[in-house]
Amino acid sequence: MSDIVASNETIVVVGGGISGMTSALEAAECGKQVILIEKNASLGGRVAQLHKYFPKMCHPTCGMEINLQRAKRNRNLRILTMAEVTEVTGESGDYSLKVSLKPRYVNENCTACGECEKAVEAEFDDEFNYGMSKRKGAYLPHNMAYPQRFVIDANIIGTDDATKAKEACKYDAIDLDMQDEVIDLKAGAIIWATGWQPYDANKIQPYGYDRYENVITNVEFERLMDPQGPTGGKLVRPSDGKEAKNVAFIQCAGSRDRNHLRHCSRICCMASLKQSKYVRSAYPEDGKVSIYYIDIRAIDRFEDFYKSVQDDEGVTFIKSKVANIIKDKDDNPVLKGVDTEGYNRYETPYDLVVLATGMQPSVDQNAFPIDIVINQDGFIEPDESNGAIFAAGSTADALDVNRSVQHATAAALRAIQVVNKAAGTGA
Amino acid sequence: MADEKKIGAYMCKGCGLGERLDFDNMKMIAEREGKANLVKEHDFLCSAEGVKMIQDDIDNEGVTNVAICACSRRAKTEAFNFEGVAITRGNLREGVIWVRPDTDEARETTQEMAEDYVRMACFESKFTQVPKSSEQQGRIDNVLVVGGGVTGMTAAIEIAKAGYKASIVEKSGALGGHLADAWKDIPSRSPYADPVDTGVADMIAAIEADANITVHLNSTLTKTSGAPGRFAADISTESGSTTTENFGAIVQASGYKDYDANQLPELGYGKTPDVVTQAELEKLAVEANGGPIKRPSDGKEVTSVAFVQCAGQRSDKEGHLPYCSGTCCLTSIKQAMYFKDNNSDVDTTVIYTDLRTPGAPGEDFYRSGQQKGVVFTKGEVSEVAAGSDAHSVKFKDLILNEDTEMQADLVVLATGQVPNSGPDLEMQADDKADAEEAGEEYVQEIPVDSILNLDYRQGPDMPQLVHGFTDSHFICFPYETRRTGIYTAGPVRRPMDSLQAKEDGTGAAMKAIHALEDAAQGRAAHPRSGDLSFPSFRQEGCTQCKRCTVECPFGAINEDEEGYPQFNEARCRRCGTCMGACPVRVISFENYSVDTVGQQIKNVEMPDEFDEKPRILVLACENDAYPALDMAARNGNHYSEFSRVIPVRCLGSVNTIWITDALNSGYDGIVLMGCRKDDDYQCHFVRGSRLAGIRMSKIDDTLEQLNLEPDRVATYEIAITDVDRAPALINEMAETVEKVGMNPFKF
Amino acid sequence: MSTNTAMVEKYRNNFLKEVEANVEEGEWVKMCMQCGVCAGSCPLGNAWEHPPQEIFMMIRAGKREDVLTSDSMWMCTSCYNCIVRCPRELPITHIMHGLAHYAKRLGIQPKGNPTQWFSEVFWNNMMKKGRVNELKLGLSMYFKDGFVSGIKESLKNAKLGMNMQKTKRMAPMEFFGGHGVKNPGDLQKIIKKAQELEAARIEEHGK
Repeated sequence: MSDIVASNETIVVVGGGISGMTSALEAAECGKQVILIEKNASLGGRVAQLHKYFPKMCHPTCGMEINLQRAKRNRNLRILTMAEVTEVTGESGDYSLKVSLKPRYVNENCTACGECEKAVEAEFDDEFNYGMSKRKGAYLPHNMAYPQRFVIDANIIGTDDATKAKEACKYDAIDLDMQDEVIDLKAGAIIWATGWQPYDANKIQPYGYDRYENVITNVEFERLMDPQGPTGGKLVRPSDGKEAKNVAFIQCAGSRDRNHLRHCSRICCMASLKQSKYVRSAYPEDGKVSIYYIDIRAIDRFEDFYKSVQDDEGVTFIKSKVANIIKDKDDNPVLKGVDTEGYNRYETPYDLVVLATGMQPSVDQNAFPIDIVINQDGFIEPDESNGAIFAAGSTADALDVNRSVQHATAAALRAIQVVNKAAGTGA
Repeated sequence: MADEKKIGAYMCKGCGLGERLDFDNMKMIAEREGKANLVKEHDFLCSAEGVKMIQDDIDNEGVTNVAICACSRRAKTEAFNFEGVAITRGNLREGVIWVRPDTDEARETTQEMAEDYVRMACFESKFTQVPKSSEQQGRIDNVLVVGGGVTGMTAAIEIAKAGYKASIVEKSGALGGHLADAWKDIPSRSPYADPVDTGVADMIAAIEADANITVHLNSTLTKTSGAPGRFAADISTESGSTTTENFGAIVQASGYKDYDANQLPELGYGKTPDVVTQAELEKLAVEANGGPIKRPSDGKEVTSVAFVQCAGQRSDKEGHLPYCSGTCCLTSIKQAMYFKDNNSDVDTTVIYTDLRTPGAPGEDFYRSGQQKGVVFTKGEVSEVAAGSDAHSVKFKDLILNEDTEMQADLVVLATGQVPNSGPDLEMQADDKADAEEAGEEYVQEIPVDSILNLDYRQGPDMPQLVHGFTDSHFICFPYETRRTGIYTAGPVRRPMDSLQAKEDGTGAAMKAIHALEDAAQGRAAHPRSGDLSFPSFRQEGCTQCKRCTVECPFGAINEDEEGYPQFNEARCRRCGTCMGACPVRVISFENYSVDTVGQQIKNVEMPDEFDEKPRILVLACENDAYPALDMAARNGNHYSEFSRVIPVRCLGSVNTIWITDALNSGYDGIVLMGCRKDDDYQCHFVRGSRLAGIRMSKIDDTLEQLNLEPDRVATYEIAITDVDRAPALINEMAETVEKVGMNPFKF
Repeated sequence: MSTNTAMVEKYRNNFLKEVEANVEEGEWVKMCMQCGVCAGSCPLGNAWEHPPQEIFMMIRAGKREDVLTSDSMWMCTSCYNCIVRCPRELPITHIMHGLAHYAKRLGIQPKGNPTQWFSEVFWNNMMKKGRVNELKLGLSMYFKDGFVSGIKESLKNAKLGMNMQKTKRMAPMEFFGGHGVKNPGDLQKIIKKAQELEAARIEEHGK
């Protein structure tokens, strides 16, 4: 990796989700040298795992294809995967970074032919499907994975499977001796785009996510709907594979809650409205949806989308934070609580319950490799003292994709301002 | 060497291709039929060694056109990214061996498939040139910012900070826009608890102190022409003087106007001066200057105030705004704090249906409002009745489920934002067409001043998306407008608060710089970022039919006095819609033309009618359908051995001559795969897919003339996730062909 | 003027302010965002006319009479489910008791409410000797509605009584005097002092 040339005119982007990719591409296409650092084995981040976007009901991988084409063509962009920034020192215009690289055990020779995958036997939970399916010990993270290169799971190193994988590869692409590596980089500006993770639903005890199979999270629901996902795109419930025709969504599952996340995660209302359309289009005749909410935050032009869902007779809105979930004898989750509009108690069984879990910043605020201003919700604040470390996307606030990209585009300019100054061409 | 074409065909035997295919035959075909000057094979073409072999040929043998017969063009793109040569790809892996079974019976047809893809790659290569400069490139490091509100000011400041210049054209006599009239702004920093200074004065000072920012007050644009890298704008002052300046790109931050509250008499507006809009309350707060706010009717210090949310918004009623303006909940909380911070005894009640204070800042500010004693009531206000002293707000309390009323000294209506986006061209065109149809004279109902006054063939302003808001329609690409190099930002794009407007202004500034850098080098913008090709046309063949100028989704083509198209390279997004539209086929790109695709179609080997080997042509959008087929191949989905797939930039670039030629030369079925084209269109070139749909509906005539069954041509909307569906549709066509029989027109 | 009318006068019908000033933890009422998780989480919710979230809204809507005369907050058994689940961390249980206490102070609490009656009996029972006399407490509960129903109730609970005796939780001889702290007079003095302090505090600051 000693071939990476970086200087104080280089922009380092941390995180290869939609925000990081956007920042990196905008800067690289303006002629800046950019290094994109991604922790996982492939780019795309959370959006790659989404089935559709609101409000257009279009597919995230479509935009990703465009961004990947941009990345493949661009000579100013260098991508490091399975890489994490562990240390940052210095100041605006002059940063030094330490980046730790995990071994992929597969080098650039890989043609993604898939022979290694056929050769190995061990299976592991597929992270891409949130563990709802299995993948092999040699795998391509997903269909759109870029770099389009396989990964050997570290767990099979030293086993027969590893040897089998190596033997199956005709291109000398598998290198079982790869080791952890730490490299040093220079940068003039750093864009921090590490994004978000779904809030751990196990912590919301009254909802029994850990106890009831038919209580799932909204991110898992996205995977269920994907034709390439664990159920082949069929809307069935986990416990018995029965068609999930009566589905409840619980909003603010972890958000707007001082016991969990204090902030409103912004996206979950729209996500549930979108997912209610999944249910209704999967079962147009008898599919039913109930949305339990505090406030429906279908802000600005999204109101149209909200209206279209309201107009659907198959969808009911209940202003209530569900108190708890119990299970009946048929494995149906039963929601208990009070509809606050006029005080009506309910105890209603559903085939499937989806928790609209919120967005939690991916990086713990105590784990940042450099001292910057982070607010109590864990988001990076725009502060002068942060120097040339700029947040992009949901690292700055709970944002939807459109606003993340907007924010990431702005972040690219902030970084360009710094490196242009370093190069003597800026203001 | 420059003009002499030398084709090198390179075949890869890796990934099982060597075991499955007969390469000797394929090499012979490349040489004899494909007329490749050099034909080589390699066991592992994408390896460093294989790549070097090709690079050596480019360097030493003068190869100008590289035809790589290996994997999909989407795979190993970086390895085969040779500079200065034209590259074509024959897809033998994802296109052939992965979609066919490895059996003895299938061997013959699989080989035929592969051989055809070799022919196609060679012929595409033969007709492909390396894109050269159009000589239209220009570089102007100055961005025109239309509008001097918070969005425009931010854009200008950020552009200057990056080392470029900016010029603000502001219609009014001062910078600052709506925010300048506000007493305070919502907080932009944690803990998001209190109203803060608007910062407008600081921004104006920064602009005045910056030599790279020019400000034109009391000015509007009376004409804007050119293209990214060479825009020319006539900036006219109220007094009538006009100067023309050149710009590299444009940020349109024309903002919003306040909704006219006179349309809300039921909410008491106009009936008593004590019913005010949020904007009017800001004025009262400015007058109070931190002291107690006094009500307009009698100057009494306000002791109770009611905020009516969603006034004239989120409503289907005539004259109301159907959308949510997104900012009013935060504004009401801020304004309630004006009262509370001065005197906590003032009663402040916000009547809302959904409190929309999203994100971390929003929820913090809501809590802070509650902490300060602002009362929030979920209710629907039906009427505000003016009283002699206090005014009565009648509402349904949705929690207590009862009709009730409250008294207030002052009532604030949270009315919405109406975008300043100029006339709605599409609606006007529709109205005009309706009027003409009815034989009436078209009268523009409410004349709206144009913002940009573009001298584009397709109208003077940015196309509108919905409710008067402008582009973008794309979620992943919020700035990609239908007018290249012109970026809208702020509330003209969607309702937003100052926090978001500043981000948006900065983002648009980034895109403007991007656009002028692209224009300087002749590179395309999204979605074919970096493409150096551009459309050119043979004037002698042109019939001045204007279809290209009309159909261009990006308004890239003007007409000269004689009605010939004038291409503006930097406005062009390289979709090829013009090429698809041209009935006389005089428009082409160096690396994409009627020939590059037409020759591939023609040179597929056409078996005899009685061979029972039909041929199905698949034209697939390169961004969605083609990747879907690639992924299908990776998943081991098989599809018909009789199909031949050609990626196209957009279905809009498909010229009907390809279809006619294909049918005439014996193809038995044709499948067109494009993107979704309704209101939620997913076509990356906005309406390419729709135009293709219209054109293909006329193909039936051709089929009729040829006495062929209409089922032989099918157009589908394919999403990138249609990994199983896309191959299934190809197979469906194979079944259709089996049913209706072979095309008799085989040579 | 009664305390009640004085308060009405003082707060000009701004009941929220009255609650904030006079009810224990009353300043939290404004922080409720009407999600209703408290209402749904209450194990005795079915018995409530107005669940906590609704009471908070009623307070904000100025429904003073309806709130203070309601028996809803007397239903609270201090299980703390609502506090644990409240996304705004409102001390709901304490607010409920605070409201009940305030209503009683104003003398407008609902009449004949068993919880309230029990509280009083419990207090008086305990204050006598500084220890609760289980037997007398139980009996006074059973006989609250008269002699006949008292006998019926006592018989119904005879088994429970026997078991309590067996496990030495209750002694029949307790009926005559019963056990207590060493100097109940001192305890009463302490309580009296505390009540004086409380009254002075209410006089000065409300609450």
